[in-house]
Amino acid sequence: MWQVGQLVWRRILFAVPTLLVVSVIAFGLSKAAPGDPVQQLLHRTGEESLGNWEQEEKSYRETARILDLDKPAFYCAFLPIAYPDTLYKMAHPVRRAVLKGLCARYGNGQLALAYYRSVEQGLKRVSAERQANPAIADPTWKLLKDLALRTDARWIHRQLNDLRRQGGSAKQVSSEITRQFHALEANPTPWRKYIPSFRWHGTDNQYHHWISGVLRGAFGNSWKDGQPVGQKIKGGLRWTLLLNLSSLLLAFGLAIPLGVFMARMKNRWPDYGLKILLFLLYALPSFWVATLLLLWAVNPASGLDWLRVLGTDTPQLESNWLEFFWHERRRMLLPILSLTYGSLAYIALQVRSAMDEVLEQDYIRTARAKGLPERKVLWRHAAKNAAFPLLTLIGSIFPALLAGSVVIESVFNIPGMGKLTLDAIFGQDWPLVYTVLWISGVLTVLGLLVSDILYVWLDPRIRSAEEKSKAVWT
Amino acid sequence: MDVKGLWHFLHRDASGRWAIWYLYLFAAIGLFSDFLANERPLVFREEGAWHFPIFRQMLAQVGLGQEEGKYVQEGWAGHSFEWVIRPLIPYSAETIDRRNLGAKSPFGPQRVAHIRYWHWLGTDQSGHDVAAGLIHGARVALFIGLIGMLTATIVGVLLGAIAGYWGDSGLEMSIARMVAYGATALGASYFIWAHQYGRVEGEADGWHHVQTGLGLVLFFVLGKGIAWGMEKSAMLGRRVPLRVDFWVSRLTEVLNSLPTLLFILAILATLEHPSIYYIMLVIGLLRWTGIARLVRAEMLRVRTLQYVEAARVLGLPDSRILWRHALPNSLGPVWVALAFGMAGAVLVEASLSFLGIGLPVETVTWGSLMRQLPGGNLRPWWLAVFPGLLIFLTVLAFNRLGESLSRAARTGTE
Repeated sequence: MWQVGQLVWRRILFAVPTLLVVSVIAFGLSKAAPGDPVQQLLHRTGEESLGNWEQEEKSYRETARILDLDKPAFYCAFLPIAYPDTLYKMAHPVRRAVLKGLCARYGNGQLALAYYRSVEQGLKRVSAERQANPAIADPTWKLLKDLALRTDARWIHRQLNDLRRQGGSAKQVSSEITRQFHALEANPTPWRKYIPSFRWHGTDNQYHHWISGVLRGAFGNSWKDGQPVGQKIKGGLRWTLLLNLSSLLLAFGLAIPLGVFMARMKNRWPDYGLKILLFLLYALPSFWVATLLLLWAVNPASGLDWLRVLGTDTPQLESNWLEFFWHERRRMLLPILSLTYGSLAYIALQVRSAMDEVLEQDYIRTARAKGLPERKVLWRHAAKNAAFPLLTLIGSIFPALLAGSVVIESVFNIPGMGKLTLDAIFGQDWPLVYTVLWISGVLTVLGLLVSDILYVWLDPRIRSAEEKSKAVWT
Repeated sequence: MDVKGLWHFLHRDASGRWAIWYLYLFAAIGLFSDFLANERPLVFREEGAWHFPIFRQMLAQVGLGQEEGKYVQEGWAGHSFEWVIRPLIPYSAETIDRRNLGAKSPFGPQRVAHIRYWHWLGTDQSGHDVAAGLIHGARVALFIGLIGMLTATIVGVLLGAIAGYWGDSGLEMSIARMVAYGATALGASYFIWAHQYGRVEGEADGWHHVQTGLGLVLFFVLGKGIAWGMEKSAMLGRRVPLRVDFWVSRLTEVLNSLPTLLFILAILATLEHPSIYYIMLVIGLLRWTGIARLVRAEMLRVRTLQYVEAARVLGLPDSRILWRHALPNSLGPVWVALAFGMAGAVLVEASLSFLGIGLPVETVTWGSLMRQLPGGNLRPWWLAVFPGLLIFLTVLAFNRLGESLSRAARTGTE
């Protein structure tokens, strides 16, 4: 069995960097996404506009800290020397972009930061004033708010001019900001944005926190409702696993005998008929079938209300899986049907062509010649060898069990993994999205490993990892 | 079998002939969808002059000229022309027929001025004609499938071919070059990024692009120069094998480890302005691994053939043998993969628009017509049946084509 051991080690050795890259890609996607998750969360909790700048800032910082967004994103970064070291501390994406723009234009991170802080200080001061005397402070407030969003020098000067003419503390505020802005303008070093510098942020970064948590089994919290991602996945997994497992068992259980039967009936009418039927089934889009089934089942005239396809009553999560399955059996019927027929058709056609090939072999002729009953020839000798092509399917089965039914779940409104992830993608709930993507990656690698082991174990022709990788390149 | 032989085989293959004709029809509808379903007339005559508004519309779409504002404002449907020929379906996909809002059945009562304006396949909730939507959807499906899979084929063929032809030891490069090229590539991408950052929109755009171009040329020359200089050193000048096969296979492993549909959905969710071009790009960059695997396997076989050996003995350069002699003979399985890939791409596009992600809201596709059903009003069966039927037929036809092609490949080798 040493070959198997070697193969396993080789796979695992390659899997580690692969999974690392997958985790970085999955995590990196969340950084590329538009929008401000902190703002979204504040919006949902109703803390978005408290009317007081200082309180708003405080709740923003607090939320950013809870979501871990006030840390650098990764271990290291290549940034222009024009950027200040503490850029990442500016958790507000819009303001960070403005600050970056200022740094890039003037090439001086410290002065740009000082200017931007003076604008923020001004906002803080005017905000306090606004509560006492809104009539005077409001126009100043508006001007400052706009100022915080622009990098264009001509525009900033115009805005500062307008600001000077306002009442209240506008004069002092504007003179401070003007002083800082003049200092920034007086020392332009735009070439510094072309000089890269390597910044090392250490392990106190968002990616490290996430991935080390995942490796310990703590997947972090959802950005949407603060629930642990692990718990959400567990809740969805129950549906998805039950749906996909039963569909897979059904597909294999029906497809193998069907394929063998077709191979036996080769070039006779049952074979032709089934072939056409399976070919049609294979091309039938499952979400269309699901939609039609749903359409039919919700129609009161069809008499299918016992299926309760639109059922919303979720039983207690504490009940065990079998009870759960039994309780939801009717609701699962149509989804399982829509999930099954496609893979059934595919597997059956595969089995048929594999059997077809095997039945031409000499040893089958020998078996027949020595008078073995046909049933034994088919199942003992032929089917066993025809099963090899199916082994490669195993590699894709594990990840399919996790998130294989996105569209079907969304049609039937089933709260499984697919629906959960889809909703997370729509709602920009990234901790859930990148965790699911990464776990799918792990499961794929696991599936490939299992199919490799089975290959080496069952196929006497392949005895080493080299031969396997030559035969099947994954 | 060469392309011509393949062509003849496909048209002779009796059981697959319907698929070929269906796909011709599909392509024709996709290409000429503007002439088949449009609220504008094909041609009309007014005040002694001929007008061809659909041509005008097409020119306007590519930025040449404008549509005749008078008719656009008035509404094409409301205007009574002296003499007019309208398209087969006198509605565009985005036309809203205010008199037939709320999903009118094809058989039910419709408020139309003339049988000519009947909605043969009904309307959807907001009064769009379903038949026009299907025709426009054919164009979207065709273009996404074709351009997406073309990109995938180019990437897959390139990577599969170099992986198969050179393997892990065939391609050598000096350490100096690897370092120099790697560093300048990094530097150049940093330069592009830094150069565009912190610019005010619209400020000297042309000059900016010239600067970027000049910078890239500079980096290219710099890379060459550094490589040339470093190669003088005996240690850095040593040639080491580039393990192309290894790296390409690692790349496919990473891509295959990600759940395709969810990954595509997640990528599309990061885009601020959805567009069908992104879907093409994503399909192209994610779905090449199967094609690469086939080309690589074929290349492994072809490179040991005698004529390739002969070319090598004759002293032809590797790149010439690969692109001119080995690759054309390794493309057989690509046709099969391309046909099945098109089926997959059409399905992906349909699923994406069915789920409502990645496409602009106003784009009408087969999937988006079906999206209006679940959860909401389930009465209008025509919104489910017709688009689904087209998706089914298209996928079926591409699968059938793939089947025929693989049969052609088998008979070709026998």
